[in-house]
Amino acid sequence: MAISRRAFLKSSAVVGGGLAIGFNLSGCARAQYPHYSAADLQPNAFLQVTPSGEVILQLHKSEMGQGVYTGMATMAAEELNMDPALITVQQAEFHPDFRDPEFYVMITGGSSSIKLNYVIVREAAATVAALLRAAAAEHFSLPESALNLKDGKAVHAGGEVGFAGLIEIARSLPSPKQVTLKSPQDFQYIGHYNKRLDALAKVTGKATFGIDLQYPDALTAVLLRCPQFGGKVQSFDASQALSKSGVKLVIEVDGAVAVLADTYWQARQAAATVKLVWGESPLAGINSDSLRAERHQLLVSEDGKNVEEKGERSAAIGERFDAVYDVPYLAHATMEPMNALAVATAEGIEVWTGNQSPDIALSEIADATGFKREQIRIHNQMLGGGFGRRIMSDYLVEAARIAQLSGRPVKLVWSREDDMRGDFYRPNSTVAMAATIANNEVSSLQAKVVAPSIIGGFVQFVTNSILPQWLPNGLHKKIGGLAADTDPAASEGLVHSDYEFPYMRTDYVMQKTSIPIGYWRSVGHSQNAFFMESFIDELANRTAQDPVMFRLAHLAKDSRRRKVLELAAAKANWGKPPAGQFQGVAVHESFSTVVAQIVNVSVSDFKIKVHKVVCAVECGMAINPDIVIMQMESGIVFGLTAALKGEITVVDGAVQQSNFHDYEILRMNESPEIEVYRVDTAAAPTGVGEPGVPPLAPALANAVFAATGQRLRQLPLRLA
Amino acid sequence: MADLAFTLNGQQQTLSIDEGTPLLWVLRDHLAMTGTKFGCGMGLCGACTVHLDGSPIRSCSYPAQYVSGRSITTIEGLAESDDALHPVQQAWLEMNVPQCGYCQSGQIMSAVALLANNSAPTDADIDSAMAGNICRCGTYPRIRKAIHRAAELKGAVSSAATVGVQHYDPAAVVLNTTHISDGEIV
Repeated sequence: MAISRRAFLKSSAVVGGGLAIGFNLSGCARAQYPHYSAADLQPNAFLQVTPSGEVILQLHKSEMGQGVYTGMATMAAEELNMDPALITVQQAEFHPDFRDPEFYVMITGGSSSIKLNYVIVREAAATVAALLRAAAAEHFSLPESALNLKDGKAVHAGGEVGFAGLIEIARSLPSPKQVTLKSPQDFQYIGHYNKRLDALAKVTGKATFGIDLQYPDALTAVLLRCPQFGGKVQSFDASQALSKSGVKLVIEVDGAVAVLADTYWQARQAAATVKLVWGESPLAGINSDSLRAERHQLLVSEDGKNVEEKGERSAAIGERFDAVYDVPYLAHATMEPMNALAVATAEGIEVWTGNQSPDIALSEIADATGFKREQIRIHNQMLGGGFGRRIMSDYLVEAARIAQLSGRPVKLVWSREDDMRGDFYRPNSTVAMAATIANNEVSSLQAKVVAPSIIGGFVQFVTNSILPQWLPNGLHKKIGGLAADTDPAASEGLVHSDYEFPYMRTDYVMQKTSIPIGYWRSVGHSQNAFFMESFIDELANRTAQDPVMFRLAHLAKDSRRRKVLELAAAKANWGKPPAGQFQGVAVHESFSTVVAQIVNVSVSDFKIKVHKVVCAVECGMAINPDIVIMQMESGIVFGLTAALKGEITVVDGAVQQSNFHDYEILRMNESPEIEVYRVDTAAAPTGVGEPGVPPLAPALANAVFAATGQRLRQLPLRLA
Repeated sequence: MADLAFTLNGQQQTLSIDEGTPLLWVLRDHLAMTGTKFGCGMGLCGACTVHLDGSPIRSCSYPAQYVSGRSITTIEGLAESDDALHPVQQAWLEMNVPQCGYCQSGQIMSAVALLANNSAPTDADIDSAMAGNICRCGTYPRIRKAIHRAAELKGAVSSAATVGVQHYDPAAVVLNTTHISDGEIV
């Protein structure tokens, strides 16, 4: 599949010497849009209308399955009164206007795209709509109140004109200082539109992922990295590889060795013949077992840093009850292995790939190559799964460096084994949960977390670009937090709980040694909900109360979790499972969205069979109700893989797993029936990409306890 | 190097390849047919599934020389034309199956092969036929429903291999919302 004509023209410009369009980021002057077109109506970075009347939305978020492609188009379409399918969606290049108000960078993560852009994108579209309406009024010599926009036209009782006929007038009008957004009761698409605009391309094989890009005369590269993290090549002998069919170059690239050939298979075959001598890895001798033992030691030896404290310690009266929980490292295992296509010239570098944070990648590539950010362009593609893995820039930097050092257009393609062993893993974590119980009442709930810090992992492993000057205050603050030995991701989901007990406390001890870790779908919530909601179940059991009733008794009166939990319980027939099945429940809030899940299981021969998951979600209003449901289904299956199978182990600084036979993913025959119910509210929308994951593991573990009496405090769940 | 001649989506292909090259890389790198995906390289995930004389194979582990003189169908060749959809693709749209979409070419090829041999598969048949295709986004419940729906569609157009959707218009697809348990206001 050829790269789009637009992209090809841009890349031709690079090959011809010099970027076609430079960015001016100096001072506070508004930088020209990378997608600027002189003839278009383009009052803001998000939307433009071409002279032919085509409405183009710049998708400034990465589509990785979560539905943002459709969601953003739907929000824009609403204000323009047009069917979302009529909008052309283009993947945006970096521009400062695409930076988030919360993260201060252009990034897709934290289930925040819809939540943060519900107003921004509608305002951008409403501005275009206001200009078109004013232009139509002038065109027809009618008051604006006499006409409406509809599906790409301005219409009034006696006639209509397409947007194409309004562009010239609209371009001459001043942008409105203020726009009025539609009232939710007038929404035609938001809350009603249920299709996916990217579905057709994805069922016909036409969707373009990074790995699908072709570039004239590009070579395919495979990169040989030290199996132990951080190790660099000392010497290598590529004489045999260079004699293989199709092989063009074998070069050292920043401690690794790249084999460049005409095709992937040629490069991969030749790579197997390269003789390598690796230097010592800074993580040699590190094992996941010894890291866990160290965490258990740190639980005893370190006080850690207090993250949250509510109530008076003196209220913690009665008998103390402790339980220690553990979770392992996890890989993201996106279906599309990491890859990037890069073209380097003396003037700059262009990269085509699927990535979640082009802003950070620009800085990292600049850092690695010596080019300025303004000399680098990243053309985002569909992501064959992200889950947080593609927040990292490592594979873009690798491709850029190979292209720079080889002087050839190059597509770097990782194998599944590269992907499994070169990930930034969900951190392993150990938590000591503790409670005091007096007169059958829980008087305190305490959590002490021992885990490595993800932001610390950035500092340690992600090149040396963590503190460039351009980095805005938001990230500087987070890094500042590191110096104070805190990492919000390590304790999120334990703190800000809606449970009310007389004394509550969370402490964090940072484990300093780790393999590279990163942001894994739902981040800290992925393990902390397991700890919290399993332990809540333990407390219900110790005080002989029904798990749903116990939660309702201790959740704050105004907690959003109550309704969601009640809905799930009602829909799942809580307390009345089919014969031979047992139920477990969990409710958790993450990324401002509340999800409750009830899992029905049976257990025989030490095997856990998951029959059904009933899920209730409250995410404010849904932009696309079916995508909300899809994301809950997705989170549940993702959570089941982690709860039943997921475990990355490390021996002597190297990951032991390599492919889907030893890092198994849930399959069709293991996939349960899933029902999803929404608590519909009029509140502004919150995210759904991640919140479906956290409650699954505890709900399942609680169901296994109900079935067997075994309290499993480690993931993946293994019956003894 | 070895010469290879085979039929791809009804068209004769002749090219020269390194012996042992898996069919997947012939499709993707030699012929720029990128609808078929690379996922694992070991036949474990099914993303690379294509049809060899109508039967599903994992093209990442299938040496291309063995398809010599035979017929390969990929996702690009399922429908009769660019403007048409195979009933399985149609059902996938109606059930809103794809998320990231990367595995879906392989899923669809496996489902088409299942339905070619079994016009009304049970859930157990689907489990068995589809267990070799991993979806990391977790679209399994919808794939199951879409296969049942495709069986209905195929029955309705038993004589034709494809459902004509001329100049595809997303607005014209009627989403099957029976799976949507929607809008509980409590």
